[in-house]
Amino acid sequence: MKILVCIKQVGDDGETNRFDVHALEEALDLKDQLQTQLSKSVVLDVVTVGPPGACKIIRRAFGMGADRGFHCVTEKPDFVSSFVTATRLAAVAQKEPYDLILTGIMSADMMAGQTGPMLAKILGLPCATSVIKTSVPSSDMTIEVERELDNGLRDCLTITMPAVLTIQAGINTPRYPKLSSMLAAGQKKIETFKELDLFPEPIQAREISIGTEYPKKTRSGRVLEGSLSDKAAEFLAFLKEKDLL
Amino acid sequence: MKQIFVIAEIFANQIRPVTWELVAAARVIEKNLPSQQSSPAIHVIVPADHPLPLAETIAQRTGMDVIGLQIPELKTEPFAKTIEEPQKGTKKHKEKGRKARWDCMWERGAPAPHGDSGSLARGSAYSGEIYISCIEQLAEELNPSHILIAHTPQGQDFAPGLAVGINAASVPAVNGIRTDEEGLIYSRPVFDNSRNLLVRPTQHRPVVLTVMPGIFKAAVGEEQKSGRLEIRDLPHQPAGYGDQRIRHRRTLKRSCENQALKEAKVIVAAGRGIKEKENLKEIFEFAQSFSSAAVGASRPLIDMKWIEYQHQVGITGATVSPRLYIACGISGSSQHLAGMKKAEFVVAINKNPEAPIFLHADLCIIEDVFEFIDVFLTKRGKSNGFYDFK
Ligand SMILES: Cc1cc2nc3c(=O)[nH]c(=O)nc-3n(C[C@H](O)[C@H](O)[C@H](O)COP(=O)(O)OP(=O)(O)OC[C@H]3O[C@@H](n4cnc5c(N)ncnc54)[C@H](O)[C@@H]3O)c2cc1C
Ligand SMILES: Nc1ncnc2c1ncn2[C@@H]1O[C@H](COP(=O)(O)O)[C@@H](O)[C@H]1O
Repeated sequence: MKILVCIKQVGDDGETNRFDVHALEEALDLKDQLQTQLSKSVVLDVVTVGPPGACKIIRRAFGMGADRGFHCVTEKPDFVSSFVTATRLAAVAQKEPYDLILTGIMSADMMAGQTGPMLAKILGLPCATSVIKTSVPSSDMTIEVERELDNGLRDCLTITMPAVLTIQAGINTPRYPKLSSMLAAGQKKIETFKELDLFPEPIQAREISIGTEYPKKTRSGRVLEGSLSDKAAEFLAFLKEKDLL
Repeated sequence: MKQIFVIAEIFANQIRPVTWELVAAARVIEKNLPSQQSSPAIHVIVPADHPLPLAETIAQRTGMDVIGLQIPELKTEPFAKTIEEPQKGTKKHKEKGRKARWDCMWERGAPAPHGDSGSLARGSAYSGEIYISCIEQLAEELNPSHILIAHTPQGQDFAPGLAVGINAASVPAVNGIRTDEEGLIYSRPVFDNSRNLLVRPTQHRPVVLTVMPGIFKAAVGEEQKSGRLEIRDLPHQPAGYGDQRIRHRRTLKRSCENQALKEAKVIVAAGRGIKEKENLKEIFEFAQSFSSAAVGASRPLIDMKWIEYQHQVGITGATVSPRLYIACGISGSSQHLAGMKKAEFVVAINKNPEAPIFLHADLCIIEDVFEFIDVFLTKRGKSNGFYDFK
């Protein structure tokens, strides 16, 4: 069985997107269970699309237990359309027959939650989003999952593999990368692809960014000034005035 | 003539209210389209196994034309009498000492209930695969310029795939729509909600938009003139339609109620900024300094198992409306705000002056949350004889 986890580097310190760590943990957990309970061999790969520095998160994934890492190297633009990312990921995912592809529910920077379902559609696979529980597939054909809806509801689904799942936080508690594995991972080779190797013709973005702005204020936002003690006093006065104590 | 599609959100055979907001958003788009374009028609699309009554309600309440997609495969499930199903966690996920309790609401193949089955008589009737293939088909025929879908767990599940399927641009989580000389611009939250990104679809493509709930004012009432109604059987069964690869087994509902949060006059809520589970103690002490306060939390604290689900505030937790909401080390994500924006007053304590929560607060306290609480409790103790912190 082959599992692919899509991981993205986000933020100023270039960490792995929080939700992707949960996706990777879930894949590792499935792998452990498939190997120990059903003596199946599982290969767990990670893939990222990003600037050269993004290989850092692949090393971290090795530290957690990923077997192989793929890196589609791109420039570092301000805005990437999810469709473009999904197309790139699909090119890597198509190189091997993956039974299960996991992504995070969304990336902290783009907050789109689109890349997984788009990847599924490009590959022609079924997709369930916001997955909060998986069971070990007992046959090679299907996996049972629960997906989170709103209002405290969950749908329980049986999905024919190969399939794409987007993973919601709360599904597991991610392990920390092992130092020993991190060191060993230093020797591991990351397979890199250049944009041009995969796509001789550039992929057309379907949306462009024309800038960012601050969200609008919805309340007055009075900022308390002065020392800590001044602020505490003013807060206390506010509570008394509004009869909130 | 170009069309704007609004995909109604149907759950358990009911029209979810976000549908009215989508209609309002569609009207904003219609108004803002460049005038040389012939004026588009808004069509509300209702996918269901028996769409007629739903479609009628929508046509009456919005005055819009409605197309009901009659899809037998969405036939709602017989519902098993509400049963409790404790979750069997694998050994790793077992929640220590407490089990989530779940009520089973619908179950495939379960025997039909006796007598009156109440409002839950019909199942969830949502299938991403079927939605995508049916709407694709309709879009191919009617060539809409815009498709509006709710940014909800249901909408987010099928919108991106639909966009790929019809070669559309895709803009998720839209929280604003406006125009400049070159056309429509959509805004949407990015970077942990600290900014809005302004997005413009590239030309000559349809656009699939998922619209954030709670942004566009639902403009409904009995319209003078009901819209036209059309019920369609889709003539061609799309590929993969019969042998669904995603099968719905059952729908569960968490049975616990967040009564304490709902009734509290004051909610002291903790976020990831409290750094460690042990620090929750101080949050509870802070809450105890009020005469009637409950402790709330942002979702990551529940995900990390620091505190039970009953404390979670937000789109996937409780919706609360206390007189005062004190956000401690919470950044102010849209998912969290959705649960607490009805509070009468909001006070935010956060050490980052750029935290978006400050845009949605009445009082902004830019401090380390625990340093502030300590000083506050001391002052409160001094100023008030009856409160003894120790
Ligand atoms: C489908 C979906 C559903 C979701 N549902 C919910 C939901 O129902 N409820 C919910 O809350 N979230 C929900 N989320 C998660 C949401 O997107 C955010 O990730 C989450 O709300 C962030 O929680 P936070 O503000 O506590 O943490 P962060 O965003 O990490 O913010 C922590 C804040 O603490 C501040 N801070 C750090 N140290 C200190 C200090 N010493 N003193 C003061 N301040 C400090 C930081 O400046 C920062 O602003 C959902 C996400 C998804 C994808
Ligand atoms: N550049 C990328 N490289 C690898 N995976 C990605 C990338 N961008 C997004 N993803 C995956 O898609 C998920 C959703 O991202 P988004 O659609 O940007 O919110 C993330 O949690 C990742 O698992």
